[in-house]
Amino acid sequence: MSLLYWLILIPLIFAVVIAFAPARQARSIATIGSFVSFGPLLAALFRFDWSNGGSLQFVASYDWIADMGVRLGVGVDSVSLLLIALTVLLGPICVICSYTAVTENVRVFYGWLTGLQAAMVGVFAATDLVGFYICFEFTLLPMYVLINLYGSKNRKRAATKFFLYTFTGSIIALAGLVYVVFHHRSLEGVWTFDIPTLAATAAQMPLQAQSLVLLALMLGFAVKVPLFPVHTWLPLAHTEAPTAGSVILAGVLLKLGTYGIYRFVLGFVPEAVIEYAALIAVLSIIGIVYAGLICWVQKDVKKLVAYSSVSHLGFCVLGLVALNSVGATGSVLYMINHGLSTGALFLCIGMIYERYHTRSMDELGGLAGVMPIWSSFMVFFVMASVGLPGLNGFVSEFMCIIGTFQSSSAWVLEGRAGAAGGSLGPWFAFAAGSGVIVAAMYLLYMTGRVVWCTARQPADYHEHPELPKDLNRREIGLLSVLAVGCLGLGVYPTPLIEAIEPSVERTLAPYQDLLEERAQRLSLDEGEG
Amino acid sequence: MTMLSMPLGALSNLVAAADGPYIATGEAPQWVALIPALPLLGAVLCLICACLNVKNKAPGYLTVGLLAGSFVTTLVAFLGGTDNYGVATIFRWIHASIGADSGTSLVSNFAFYFDGLSMLWMLFVTGLATVIGLYSSEYMSGDKGLGYCRFFFAFNVFVFSMSCLVMADNLLLLFLGWEGVGLCSYLLIGYYYKKPEAVAAAKKAFIINRIGDLGLLMAIGATFVVFGTVELRPLFEMIAAGIDANGEAIGGTWAVVVIPLLLTAGAFGKSAQLFFYVWLPDAMEGPTPVSALIHAATMVTAGVYLIARMFPLYAADDAMIALTVVAWAGAITAFWAATIEFAQYDIKRIMGYSTISQLGFMFAGLGLLGTTGAVFHVFTHAFFKATLFLCCGAVMHGFGGQLSLRRLSGVMWMKGFGITAVCMLIGCLSLSGVPFTAGYFSKDMILAQAFATPGDMIGGAYFIGLLLLLTAAMTAYYTFRVFFRVFVGPKYFEPGDDDHGDDHGDDHGDDHSHAHDAAKEEPGDALHTGFHPHAPGWAMNTAMVLLAVGTIVIASLYFVNKKEDHGWAGTMVKYSSAAYASPGLGHKGDGEKKDEAVGLLPADAEAGAVMPVSLVAEGVVADEDATAKASGTLFGYDPFKIMYYVSAVLGLIGIIAAAWFHGPKGLAGLGIGNRVEPAKVRMDAVAARFGPIPRWAENKWYVDELYHIVFVKVLLVSSHIYHAIDKLVIDGIVDLLGSLPRWLGSLLRPSQSGVLHSYATGMVAGSAVLVALIVLVALL
Repeated sequence: MSLLYWLILIPLIFAVVIAFAPARQARSIATIGSFVSFGPLLAALFRFDWSNGGSLQFVASYDWIADMGVRLGVGVDSVSLLLIALTVLLGPICVICSYTAVTENVRVFYGWLTGLQAAMVGVFAATDLVGFYICFEFTLLPMYVLINLYGSKNRKRAATKFFLYTFTGSIIALAGLVYVVFHHRSLEGVWTFDIPTLAATAAQMPLQAQSLVLLALMLGFAVKVPLFPVHTWLPLAHTEAPTAGSVILAGVLLKLGTYGIYRFVLGFVPEAVIEYAALIAVLSIIGIVYAGLICWVQKDVKKLVAYSSVSHLGFCVLGLVALNSVGATGSVLYMINHGLSTGALFLCIGMIYERYHTRSMDELGGLAGVMPIWSSFMVFFVMASVGLPGLNGFVSEFMCIIGTFQSSSAWVLEGRAGAAGGSLGPWFAFAAGSGVIVAAMYLLYMTGRVVWCTARQPADYHEHPELPKDLNRREIGLLSVLAVGCLGLGVYPTPLIEAIEPSVERTLAPYQDLLEERAQRLSLDEGEG
Repeated sequence: MTMLSMPLGALSNLVAAADGPYIATGEAPQWVALIPALPLLGAVLCLICACLNVKNKAPGYLTVGLLAGSFVTTLVAFLGGTDNYGVATIFRWIHASIGADSGTSLVSNFAFYFDGLSMLWMLFVTGLATVIGLYSSEYMSGDKGLGYCRFFFAFNVFVFSMSCLVMADNLLLLFLGWEGVGLCSYLLIGYYYKKPEAVAAAKKAFIINRIGDLGLLMAIGATFVVFGTVELRPLFEMIAAGIDANGEAIGGTWAVVVIPLLLTAGAFGKSAQLFFYVWLPDAMEGPTPVSALIHAATMVTAGVYLIARMFPLYAADDAMIALTVVAWAGAITAFWAATIEFAQYDIKRIMGYSTISQLGFMFAGLGLLGTTGAVFHVFTHAFFKATLFLCCGAVMHGFGGQLSLRRLSGVMWMKGFGITAVCMLIGCLSLSGVPFTAGYFSKDMILAQAFATPGDMIGGAYFIGLLLLLTAAMTAYYTFRVFFRVFVGPKYFEPGDDDHGDDHGDDHGDDHSHAHDAAKEEPGDALHTGFHPHAPGWAMNTAMVLLAVGTIVIASLYFVNKKEDHGWAGTMVKYSSAAYASPGLGHKGDGEKKDEAVGLLPADAEAGAVMPVSLVAEGVVADEDATAKASGTLFGYDPFKIMYYVSAVLGLIGIIAAAWFHGPKGLAGLGIGNRVEPAKVRMDAVAARFGPIPRWAENKWYVDELYHIVFVKVLLVSSHIYHAIDKLVIDGIVDLLGSLPRWLGSLLRPSQSGVLHSYATGMVAGSAVLVALIVLVALL
């Protein structure tokens, strides 16, 4: 049985066990469960043929609905495997960070949290459209429950909005995918939901059909990312979600959107992507700057970080539509890096929320003197998020920007060495780069309020019975793991870059010629004009 | 001197590269990695100390030890001469391919590039860091514990980052160092994090730097597009050949104009020039050793380094657009900052503006094609400005944080401050450019260069020279204004209300400070009534003396290899990417010497290689003599000779003016001063005649306020507007759509009335619409 089935089944089984186990045991079972997944994960990482990372491995499938060609297929290339690794790694972190934060209805909490992991792994592992879509939609349910039951004040509204908004998006994406399935059926006469097969078919569709599919898919996945202007569910959901929910949301759930764009938009409809890359890039850049500036005027520290996700994920999408290896590799790397650094920021904020029960920067601040350990971690992760070279954020951000810079037809026509065609170019890179300044503005504004200056605590503050003033060992451990990850990936990202590249190059393989053709065509048009 | 002359001998025996700027082609030894590695280790140890809650001076002494190790490593590398010049690759950092087909990939290793430029920079960076580390170990001892560890952690990370910046073999690693020093600057300016001004200043510094960094980032992107690499060596090879990655000529293309201008933006951000300078004066909120090391001697010169490092690219532009911008920006900044200094009363801020002004000189020097002068000025400035800051720090430390010119007087005559005052005097003399000081020689080279460089190469070079001369005189005046008011004259002080690093001179170890902590807890006004200034202890005194002696000694470097290379700095620059046949240099003395000198300066050997290609083609610099003709003169003399006298006179005029307006009565005021009361000077009457202008200058010409309105306020308001739009419009539409079903439902609900005739009516109406539609479609 493929390792990937284990990665899906283990959390699923543990989720069921937790649901029926005594409540006292729930958190220990969840902890064990989250660590058990490391077994198959490590085996998978070890046995994966990285030099051939572009092709699907650990492939397995079972017939499900034979008449319709629906199968339960799994298989991963390097990108999906790395995202699975991120998901599994964040598993125990989410469980352990909730020890003191969640004390009621623990079975429900840990059960859904564990079940969510199964769904997320399923999304990345599925090679069959039906399996993918089921998992994709199934992620909504646990998240809905987590926000709705364990969130803060405004949780009901946030949960509903989160559910309806992203559900609507997914339905539209489904329509696009189904269109491709029907198209395949009409061409070949057989039903299939196999993603690679469909990708090959979709790429052959005429531009108009491709554009329609692109529109549908982008609408769906852009909501999930979220891309400007369909981002407004995110700040609300993030702010209201419990810490573990925020970490999962920022760490993995948003990546379902970018993964969807990578796998389905880039993989299915290359001609349309080239046609609309500039438009998508413009939306990404607006997101980067606009959301960044909104961060700057937030009073709620969690909302600030939530908006910063919108800004950061803009880089991610931008890197993808740069349509060259540097950009797309940087973008995939960004998915992982953002999961680590923003996940860590949410953890940090969760830790002070547990102690002070406020997220308002007016009430709370100057914690450097009160919580030096926490403050050190906070500054560290802020710097990772700000894109300080040497930490992880920089590598991916830089690659996205440089990829954008390269992505111009003009470079191709000039025959530049480092050129790759595309419709972006230096000005796009410059505009996106200004987001780097904005990021410094809002993140240092936050640090200045929360970490530095004179200590401010809420008037009704009294010490948490179970938590010391500064971090305890459990919390230090959690943050240390992420800090090591951020530092490690910043100092030595080469292995990861090399792992991602084969997959990216395979995905982008159809683009090289198309882009060059386009560049030639443009120059001809210009010549005639 | 014997120590210094040994490697230099080895250097001058080398056959100079025949074509183009010097490119270090060899391999540097792997152990140069120790230079950044030791401070990194120091940072880790400080972190461990923080975890173990170490409450003594161990982190300080550990740091000093490791930095000394780093300095010794640098020195050993230096003594190895040009044999050590080259690249040392430590490990692969970022490798990313552009696309499967293109075959180009972005290669950026953790690798170090060693040539004369990086060597010179590393020498003073590690050397000064060691000395200032020693000073800080005492200065910061009031904060022993977490704060002390935090300080030295950032201090170590700073030296690590600065080493990466200076020794980087590629632009990306340079950028790592660039941002790393920015981070440390942020952490250290905001060291006193309970002071809102310090936090604001730290943030300001980081953000303004980031604006420049965007330029640098774009420059890296453009460099990669044009040259297909970000590694220095292949880059220099291509530039030397005048081609890009495709083998096409780069002269006259956008690349040689745009890339340098983008780099310049980065350099100006880090080095506080032109529009970016406003962060540096505020950065004085940091502890004084930090101001000395980071915001005077090392980090702020990173911009100068960047331009010197990438100089071949700047010089590849025939029109020299970027260099002209650099020259003018430098000169204007130098003058502008000097005008503000006239009316400042905070001695640290005066030094801060003076740093901006001196950096302006360096940039002007670079822009005027005088790389040797600029680099030498970086070197000397590092010493004398660090000395000045450490002396200011000693005063601040001794008087409870007092920095005001009006509240201190006659410090020299107070017990224990003699060493401080003498060191201060040495620093002041050097900054003012008094003959035979280090600052005199280095500044002269820049001033002379302005007149030597012809106006058709750098537009308006002559006027830049005049502006710089004026500024030089102003420099002497404002420098000695501080000295005459604070250090000599009647003894007077008002202690500051601040207890930064308030640990009265403890010559004998750590225990002493505890006794004093108790004293500090006395009622607040005890500070004013029972305050005793406490003189610097051994560590601070040693550091100040070391630097002051260094300031004196390095003046002699001007005479090392004088004939061949115009001083030691010239030798170092010759074997670096900044090698350039500066107009007027290399043509001094009689004919025999001239030939010799020309032959030895690599860039001169074939002027065309570095000189703009078109100039060669037009025969402007076809041979060496042409260069001589092309270079300008001052009063009909060789500017490099006459400047010795001109600048000496100007410097003395400045000092005499300072003595007249601010000096005390008696010998200490050169016999012309008349100050008998601490804060009453002749200048007051003069200033009064200028109306509001002195006040405007004191308020820094309201540039900060202007920026606040034009940039910060506008952005803030628009951010609030965006936020409102996001909530009301974008999210509003979503909510509207979300509530549409319910809304429709409630609209339709009355129709489900259960009354039969209304259903019938509806059916008829519906059919009618349907029929109408069909008819319409059929007709169309």
